[in-house]
Amino acid sequence: MGSSSPAPVPGGRGPPNPFRHRLHLSRETWVPLAFILPSLAYIGYFAFYPSVDVVWLSFQTPHPAAFGYNYATLVQLGVWNAIENTVVVTVGALTIQLVAGMAIATILTKEFRGKGVFSSIAILPIGFATVVAAFAFSLIFPAVGGYANSALVGFGLPPVDWIHPSAQALVTIMLADSWKNTPLVTIILLAGMTTIPRSLYQAAAVDGAGPVRRLFYITLPNLKRFIAITLIIRGISEFNIFALPLVLVGSYPPLLTVLVYNLYSPTYPAIYQASAAASVLLAFVAVFIAIVIVMGGTRR
Amino acid sequence: MKPLRPARITLYVAVALLAVIILYPIYILFLVAFSPAHFTLDALYPPQLPHAFTLQNLTTALQSYNLIDPLFQSLQVAFLVAFIALGLGIPAAYGLSRLPPGLAYGITTVLFVANILPALTIVVPIAAEFISLGLYDTAVGLALLQELVVLPLAVFILLGAFQSIPREIEYQARVDGAGLARTLFGTLVPLAKAGIIAAFLLSWMFSWDEFTFAVILVPIHPTLPVVIYDNITRGNLLATTAFAIVMTIPVILLTVVLQKYLKGEELAGGLKG
Repeated sequence: MGSSSPAPVPGGRGPPNPFRHRLHLSRETWVPLAFILPSLAYIGYFAFYPSVDVVWLSFQTPHPAAFGYNYATLVQLGVWNAIENTVVVTVGALTIQLVAGMAIATILTKEFRGKGVFSSIAILPIGFATVVAAFAFSLIFPAVGGYANSALVGFGLPPVDWIHPSAQALVTIMLADSWKNTPLVTIILLAGMTTIPRSLYQAAAVDGAGPVRRLFYITLPNLKRFIAITLIIRGISEFNIFALPLVLVGSYPPLLTVLVYNLYSPTYPAIYQASAAASVLLAFVAVFIAIVIVMGGTRR
Repeated sequence: MKPLRPARITLYVAVALLAVIILYPIYILFLVAFSPAHFTLDALYPPQLPHAFTLQNLTTALQSYNLIDPLFQSLQVAFLVAFIALGLGIPAAYGLSRLPPGLAYGITTVLFVANILPALTIVVPIAAEFISLGLYDTAVGLALLQELVVLPLAVFILLGAFQSIPREIEYQARVDGAGLARTLFGTLVPLAKAGIIAAFLLSWMFSWDEFTFAVILVPIHPTLPVVIYDNITRGNLLATTAFAIVMTIPVILLTVVLQKYLKGEELAGGLKG
């Protein structure tokens, strides 16, 4: 207490206290804040509190057992396999959606007959619920028979079991998910493409750059921000992909979300195990966000 | 008529190919719904083209399954979600539009962080909590959780609507003697109508489609997406096609009828500021 620097006295001439300014709320600030408070309280109770609770529950056990018992059991339940599958589906589906979205958005920047009809068709899947999309794909890609196999057999090729071998199941999930979600990617990328000045392309054409070089030297560099937004929005949804694999292929091969659902029960002590799986899912999203932030930080 | 250049031909081929890929699953859904089963689900390798037309699949499904209760439950939840989004979102967006930009940006970020938390992570502990609160298996309980995904988006859209209203209009109303509540609801809300309708529609449509919260939280009184999933697992595929059609038509109609409110400028929200 005998320090030489004088304590800041309200209204006095102490050294500027950086916190004092923040704590002092004018009427201009607290009235709007009061309007926001209900929403913040709501988000706090229904989003942040459960997220903390789930981690806390994940370390609870019915009987005194080793620390992290629920996580050790998760390994036996195949959590590594589920993580691997989730990563494969995420990377695969994001790649398909970016390439397809890029192609459709590029087409929509051009003028041609039937453009209006095509742009309506291109966003049509947005109107279909995820379960409905999954169901339609399950008619096309079932284990035996179905419309894809009907076409294969028609061309004299052998039929394929689309949902039981792990690899086929993951591809089927990627295809169905990409059908449903490419329109959103298209909309974002198209918005980005309209911001690129046409003069850049004209200059490149004069210099003799072909379509491929124009794509890599003009379009993609200028779309960087929009691609990043797409990756964040779609990447997070991709980790959480749930209804679609459940309807399309059932609980095997397991994805992280499906694993949580299989373990889930709202009763104690079963909830501890489900909480551990749910915490892994949470950690996954946190790591993904961290990667995006770090990469975004170094790019600038 | 000038001959088509190779680039044009490539373009038209790509357009046709993409259109076919996008339309194919929708075509199959309607083909199965409106064809006799022996041409579709009962055939090992069903023909790709329609052979006969029937409404029987739909009528049988609607007669033998209870569709009214799930439909009512879905509607109830969707309207609750949409109204709560406005009830919480309008004051929040108004408040945000009147805060210093830095603080408003911080609060919007906090709202969106809530948006990226996995639904399954949230619903596992909340379901246990809702059992003790009496909210388990209720429309209100489900609406409260679905709101989590909708609210940040609704606030964002509404924020854009309020920011585009000049401050002078608000000052004028206050000078004329209107209180804060009357200024907000009497003067500002009518001016932000387009944004409010856009927020309402998006919230409604999200709830209509939502599956993850619903499958865990309302097992006894399910919404339509959960009923569709239940019927698929039981192998009632013809009934499922009927439900899928019933579920899709309102969204398509809503999108077409209210297209003018779902334009990019309405949804760009706070980005314009």
